[in-house]
Amino acid sequence: MIAYKFLDAGRVGPFTGFSWPLGEWVEASGADPCRSGIHACRVRDLPVWLGDELWEVDLDGHVVEQERKLVAPRGRLTRRLEEWNGDLAAAFGRFCAKRARERVGFLPILSGYVGDVDRFVSEGRIPIAGFAAARAAELRDGPAAYERERGLQAAWLAERLGLERPESL
Amino acid sequence: MRLARELACRDIVELVTAYLEDGLSAADRERFEEHLVFCDGCDRYLEQMRLTITATNHVPVEDFPPELEQSLLEAFRGWRS
Amino acid sequence: MEQILSPEDARLVDGLRVGDEAAFAAVMREYGAGMLRVAQMYVSSRAVAEEVVQEAWLGVLKGIGRFEGRSSLKTWLFRIVANTAKTRGIREARSLPFSALGEGSPDEPAVDPDRFLGEGERFPGHWSAPPQSWAPEGKLLAQETLTVIEREIERLPPVQAAVITMRDVQGFSSEEVCNALDLSETNQRVLLHRARSRVRRALEEYLT
Repeated sequence: MIAYKFLDAGRVGPFTGFSWPLGEWVEASGADPCRSGIHACRVRDLPVWLGDELWEVDLDGHVVEQERKLVAPRGRLTRRLEEWNGDLAAAFGRFCAKRARERVGFLPILSGYVGDVDRFVSEGRIPIAGFAAARAAELRDGPAAYERERGLQAAWLAERLGLERPESL
Repeated sequence: MRLARELACRDIVELVTAYLEDGLSAADRERFEEHLVFCDGCDRYLEQMRLTITATNHVPVEDFPPELEQSLLEAFRGWRS
Repeated sequence: MEQILSPEDARLVDGLRVGDEAAFAAVMREYGAGMLRVAQMYVSSRAVAEEVVQEAWLGVLKGIGRFEGRSSLKTWLFRIVANTAKTRGIREARSLPFSALGEGSPDEPAVDPDRFLGEGERFPGHWSAPPQSWAPEGKLLAQETLTVIEREIERLPPVQAAVITMRDVQGFSSEEVCNALDLSETNQRVLLHRARSRVRRALEEYLT
């Protein structure tokens, strides 16, 4: 099954520090697949896991779907999505800032969020800009709005990366 | 008002040990890692905790007090004979 | 009956039984410091803990002939020390408040609550004063830094000190520590968490 995975620069796992080989199958160690499996994400999960490098992965075996990711016993990196780079990340940040301004900027009580998102983007802190924009939406319209905002972020990323639009949530 | 899924930094610092011991449920681990993606503060905290453990690994194992060992040795010799 | 005694431990037990001093020395080297730590969990002073170890050692010698190896040597040694220490503690008629038992107070936050934003803020519970990166690893492993850690461990409640020493200084597994100190996995993890949190805080103060 095709899925996606963000890695730190140099094909390094962000939480494990594991050095991913190119094209070779990697087996998860250990008996508990949910804990020790290969982690990857669907298109709709992309905004949550932003990292330096975006890779397409091929997952094999019984794939478990969790709320924000997939876990499989084996996987391999197939190709790097070169379109995900610093420029695209910055553009994504600006998108999140624009959304925050449009959605909550006119509500004085939430307008501080606009400042936050702008500041995060100017500092290059794109993942937290995305989080703050989704959170601002949540405070305005409830938890479903958080998910919808993340969905919009995923759709924005999918379009620019040439990926299938995520199913609507 | 908070998301049901969301972990705040104050929660993260209490979960760090369980995370490093591989003791979190799959759902909690997912939420923990989700938070680390966007939160530099917690990312640095986790790194500090890892460094703390590494440094503690290097603390020399304390010696057993020589006089105490000597007295146990005498008891051992006395028992043996 | 399943033997869970390791081959190394079996050799040590045989050696002790025949009075072999090399076996004695090996047991002291391997388990001596741990035995003292266990004693310190139950009695208030270091001097009394040393007496407890001496008394416990007599119990070890009395019982070594009958030891069947159904637990590891370490678990067996530490249990004798713990029982001796507990008896000694009762004899001294000292009634210890909860915190003195060595667990620490029930609600010990890992980080000072002031470091986080309050409920009225946009990101409640998020850092108000986030952690900084520490000095390069060279300074981290310098003797002075290790001394800071040692001193902080000495200041910990005794049970926390025992757990962090055995896990992180001596490198025993979580299962071994639970068996040796008669702790549940959950309890052990809580103690380890509190101990590590305090050591981290001490290092943060020292390094930044």
